[in-house]
Amino acid sequence: MSHSGRQVMLELQEVSLVYRSKRSGFEHGQHKVLDAVSLRVYEGETLGIIGRNGVGKTTMLQLMAGIFAPTRGRVRQRPGKSASLLTLGLGFRGELSGRDNALLAAMLQGSSKSQALSYLFEIKNFSELGDSFEEPVKTYSAGMRARLGFTTALMTHVDILLIDEVLSVGDAQFRAKAEAAMKERIRGEQTVVFVSHMAAQVRDLCDRVIWIADGRIRAEGEAGEVLGEYHRFVGGGDAKPGATDAIPTRRLGQKQ
Amino acid sequence: MHIAHYFLLIDTMARMSLRADSSKYFLGYIWWILEPLLYVAVFYVVFSVILDARREDFLVFLMCGKLAFIWFSKSVNQGANSIVASRGLIGKINVPKTLFPLAVVHEGLYKQAAVFLLLFIVLYVYGYQPSASWAWLLPVMAVNYLMIVACALVGACMVCLVRDFSMVISLGMMFLLFTSGIFWDVRALGDPAMTELVLNVNPLAFMLDAYRQILMYHTAPDGLHLLLVALGCGVLALCMVALMRRGSQFLALRALSS
Repeated sequence: MSHSGRQVMLELQEVSLVYRSKRSGFEHGQHKVLDAVSLRVYEGETLGIIGRNGVGKTTMLQLMAGIFAPTRGRVRQRPGKSASLLTLGLGFRGELSGRDNALLAAMLQGSSKSQALSYLFEIKNFSELGDSFEEPVKTYSAGMRARLGFTTALMTHVDILLIDEVLSVGDAQFRAKAEAAMKERIRGEQTVVFVSHMAAQVRDLCDRVIWIADGRIRAEGEAGEVLGEYHRFVGGGDAKPGATDAIPTRRLGQKQ
Repeated sequence: MHIAHYFLLIDTMARMSLRADSSKYFLGYIWWILEPLLYVAVFYVVFSVILDARREDFLVFLMCGKLAFIWFSKSVNQGANSIVASRGLIGKINVPKTLFPLAVVHEGLYKQAAVFLLLFIVLYVYGYQPSASWAWLLPVMAVNYLMIVACALVGACMVCLVRDFSMVISLGMMFLLFTSGIFWDVRALGDPAMTELVLNVNPLAFMLDAYRQILMYHTAPDGLHLLLVALGCGVLALCMVALMRRGSQFLALRALSS
């Protein structure tokens, strides 16, 4: 395999994630988001993860970032390496200004206060927020939030960058700029795991692609191959009747 | 996370929240003291004007108890809901979950500094001069803070596990409001055994009484009792920090999934 010479940065071994959640009344639903998934992320590569909405892509990144612990299996990260998740929007505190949010995000990722303060100028410039940078984030449009989120994460330096759909929002001009900045990072020795449902972006940015369906790995390999297979499947043409992965998560033990 | 960075983060989060909070309202920072004062006013009207409390010093008596109680109840209530309220951030970054309740408690401390200053001014105006026994305020306030930290951590965990605890905690605060001797005097219960019982069973009643003994009667509180409360709260807070460190990812899953 072409990766045999490279170091493993992150490894998922037979990882499953199950959680209970409240339904109406006293009923509980059990959600199996991931089911015995094993994969490796190698140093310096860009791994793409594709699949329909709700198949567990984001959860997989959250497991990689150490936000959740797997119900079964293990997540192993190379010692001393940091992984950070880059997602949009929801992490912000609406009542705080863009500046405070950026500062807080950088400090929570481990930057010292002086480091975090030094990023702010760059963040303000790159995000093109202008005076809005000092306004509460709750007054931002979705596109403005996306710009702030992307820029904040881009400026903080981590060993493994986990990107969740982040390049799919914002206006065309900013998206082009964000993609260019992203490519620059990828061309360097940055290790990236990239989640998207935009095939063109994945083909453009990723060396290797994993296709997730129903909480399991459906296919894994070179970007063009896996994307082709994925498209044949979701595109409809020669897909088997009824064989759709549109069911978001499998629900076990749920009462009808 | 380095311990110094951890405390800097708590302080930064608290200050940001204070700033955001003050910009939200027209009266801004004035609400820090206006809100507790309005609470005191409500109680004063009910118990002194309507029910005729027959105490010359009722206003000062009420303020000593009520202002310290609001510090406790507001901080614990907000601290208890803080992890769930921050689930957006928790879903993005693996951070110590204790940060959220502690930042809320720390924010309360900043506000309370202004409230205590106001209390001292009112005491001075009413002729209560500072004395050497006021030095006891420092350990009493420190233990009060520790008590808030311990309770906020317990509350934050419980609400994270089962949301319903948020309701139970609000109701618990109401119960404490009536049982901690805020608008009635623990020492005037008639039966000394009952006074003893209330002070021993309810640490909050003991703390409120300690404030009054120091500020109004220049009397030192029971040092051993204070030490025991401090030890109890300290051990509880440490256990909670250890527990929340171990269960950090589990708490994240609960906060995001239920």
